[in-house]
Amino acid sequence: MPERSADLVLTNGRIYTLDRKRPWASSVAVKGGRIVAVGEADAVAGLTGPETRIVDLQGAMLMPGIVDVHAHLMMGGQAELFELRFPPTASFETLIARVAEAAAKVPESSWIIGGQWGSDLLPKLNTLEALAALDKASQGRPVMLRDDTYHNRWINSQALRLAGVSAATPDPEKGSIGRDPATGAPTGMMIESAAGIVESTIAKSGHYTEEMDRAAMAQSIATLNSYGVTAFLDAAAMQPILAALKGLDDRGELTAWSVSAMPAVEPSFMFGIAGDELIALRDQYRSAHARPDFVKVFLDGVPGARTAAFHEPYTSDPILGCCFRGSTIVTVPDLIRWVGKCEKLGLGVKIHCAGDAAVSQALDAIDVVRSFNGPTKLVHHIAHASYIAPDDITRFAELGVAADLSPFLWYPTSFLEGHKQTMGEARALRFWPNKDLLEAGALLAGGSDWPVMPNPDPWDGIEGLVTRRNPSGAFKGAALWPEQALDVASALEIFTINSARAIGLADTVGSIEIGKSADFIKLDRNVLDIQADEIADTKVLTTWFEGRVVYERS
Amino acid sequence: MSGADSLSAIPVTVLTGFLGSGKTTVLNRLLRRPSLAGAAVIINEFGAIGLDHLLIEASEEQFTLLDNGCVCCTVRGDLVATLKELDRRSRAGEVPDLTHVVIETTGLADPAPILHTLMAEPELAGRYFVAGVVTTVDAVNGWSTLDRHAEATKQVAVADRLLVTKTDLVSADALSELQRRLAALAPAARQSLAHDGEADFDIMDNRHLGDPQGMAAWLDRPAAEHACGADCAHDHGHDHTHDHVHHGIQSYSFVIDEPIEWAAFARWLDYVSVLKGEDLLRLKGLVHVTDQPERPLVLHGVQHVFHPPVRLDAWPSADRRTRLVFIVRDIARETIARTLTKFAAIDAASIRAPTRAAA
Repeated sequence: MPERSADLVLTNGRIYTLDRKRPWASSVAVKGGRIVAVGEADAVAGLTGPETRIVDLQGAMLMPGIVDVHAHLMMGGQAELFELRFPPTASFETLIARVAEAAAKVPESSWIIGGQWGSDLLPKLNTLEALAALDKASQGRPVMLRDDTYHNRWINSQALRLAGVSAATPDPEKGSIGRDPATGAPTGMMIESAAGIVESTIAKSGHYTEEMDRAAMAQSIATLNSYGVTAFLDAAAMQPILAALKGLDDRGELTAWSVSAMPAVEPSFMFGIAGDELIALRDQYRSAHARPDFVKVFLDGVPGARTAAFHEPYTSDPILGCCFRGSTIVTVPDLIRWVGKCEKLGLGVKIHCAGDAAVSQALDAIDVVRSFNGPTKLVHHIAHASYIAPDDITRFAELGVAADLSPFLWYPTSFLEGHKQTMGEARALRFWPNKDLLEAGALLAGGSDWPVMPNPDPWDGIEGLVTRRNPSGAFKGAALWPEQALDVASALEIFTINSARAIGLADTVGSIEIGKSADFIKLDRNVLDIQADEIADTKVLTTWFEGRVVYERS
Repeated sequence: MSGADSLSAIPVTVLTGFLGSGKTTVLNRLLRRPSLAGAAVIINEFGAIGLDHLLIEASEEQFTLLDNGCVCCTVRGDLVATLKELDRRSRAGEVPDLTHVVIETTGLADPAPILHTLMAEPELAGRYFVAGVVTTVDAVNGWSTLDRHAEATKQVAVADRLLVTKTDLVSADALSELQRRLAALAPAARQSLAHDGEADFDIMDNRHLGDPQGMAAWLDRPAAEHACGADCAHDHGHDHTHDHVHHGIQSYSFVIDEPIEWAAFARWLDYVSVLKGEDLLRLKGLVHVTDQPERPLVLHGVQHVFHPPVRLDAWPSADRRTRLVFIVRDIARETIARTLTKFAAIDAASIRAPTRAAA
């Protein structure tokens, strides 16, 4: 019966299905990109025909592809493919030399874009002498170099001209233009929102073509595939990202399920249309694997910069004083308006909440919406559900809100050291109450927040969830709030089926069950059998997306 | 804004009714009455508010002075510009002093945008006020029109007065059956009859439906007169009315025994207008607030737009309970009761249906 024959059969594996009804199997069969059988050898025996590709897993662990609930894809791919790369440790001289090399290779009118210089170089770059050196190296080509925080840019005189910035240009709100103290002439240093002036100049110049956008997204997705990720939510999808995902899918080149969160307002690090104007375009960018199904709202900033909103004050600060608690940038009624509007449109809302007061306000707003609208199938996310007031823990489950666990900071890191300075050590350590959330029935969903994490390697995050210790060996001997550690099985659910539920794809991805997409990863070890501190060493050997190999470790 | 201020403004009656319901016949007869001297009639041909203020040219031909002193004009574009122009001409003495405006909508029109304009347009809000919505319903075809057209149901639901036309063409039984159905659909509306095109009421009498004193007096009447109580139960069907005929539209009332904290109640109003505004067809209320218990607030909302609440000088009677009347589409009574308790700081035990309170 050839019509019954599978396209692909994987046998002799240790297949961890993430299906609680049948956690383990040895064989799986695939037809038309979907799983048609799961079980032991006999379950697939009748499904092999002459055209069936049979793969002997030789006892290796196979599991469903990873689902990343929070990533930013375009920037990483652009940097890898089209930009001048140098490490934040690069000296001023190296930076100038690298720009000179790049200038020799590109046409005269072409932009040279690169990064990232270390923030410690800022005072040196913010001078007319440094600008003169950059101008000489670039030979008339416009240059923009990003810093390691992604907040600031250093540009040359040609770029200043193209952006229309001169001594007479006033500083934008929430930003500043670096100036020579004697003459007031711009130094090319564009601080915070001033970075947007040059970024939007480049965007409008047509420097990034649709082909380049698609290539950058494809590059980012190839990177995700190499770590075993086969579905993701892009957490700030501007129009070029939506267009690139749709364009790739139309060409059959999209190798992951993509869900996009369209920003309600233009984010500080990306530029272009946002909010209602962007949301109105969503159906134009929808296809089988490209789903613009979320809206992103930024409710506060980050604890290290004292921009996250907390119930208790930050430590005393010479400028902000004794009692500054941070503040939210969207009011509760406005948030209610957004959530209500999104529910009418059938869109989930991902709300960035870094401080515990922001979390409370997001939950309050969703509580109001639930009280008026009743139950919904939509899952809203509290992103970076990390500092949470004890009384709010149970509200996640009560309100059906997913806790977006990203980035992987649930172990000691330099971020945590920064939080200790701004919040005091005791409070800073009450970071990521994952176990409390899990026991309260919350839906926990794992994500990388790449490129905030330097790469989207979920095995680093999974090990960290289990050990609460830094997998790299840094901060040796230290654990962050170890009582909040989870077991490996829960951590695997968090990065597969739970994230699938959170992004609205639970019927399609997240577990190995009949009817679901044949998205698998073959691992070099059985992560349920090894020491917890070896999980981060796990390597993905092969990644299948809809039954096709999209990554193979060489 | 006090009650006295609003009385100096010009009352506006919105006359609506489905295609063929006899609206124009009734209007033509009304226009002959001497009582309409000083009234202006605006025929809103498109039934919608034009966006382009520049398109309207207030030419002389647009305004016609009838023999009885009534001004008649046809609006193709902007209702706001027309109302402003009428006001200007009246003040300049080019037309008689304006005492009343009647806006006739097209048969398919949703009256809500016109009410929004009158309530929320800053240039009009001080000069005009909504006297009420009069909706004509054809005694012959009204029943099937309500079955078939959600727009007709909405016109009935938001009415302050229902005028049943062509009553001479149906039996007394059929008429009373229709009137019962209308009462279930729009318990907040008074009903009148037109016989052979002649209405049994004077449209000028309706000015008091919409002013705060008039609304307060109406809300103060015994609950059974205007609210469909538990026995009516029209949200799950009775006699001839069922969910599908209502197009999800229903009405219910609350009385609230305890005084209300205005800040909390205003927050609840904000939430309900943001999340349910589209389906909150009409809300009228007489509210006992804690800070000035002697002076109740009158509330009036159409969808997401609310009049600034008006504080009366005194209660209309000895009954000082808060009264709220809702006309909604697909909002459960329970949702309103629950959210009032949760967000408006009102004790659940003090929120009741009027019939139970009266029993």
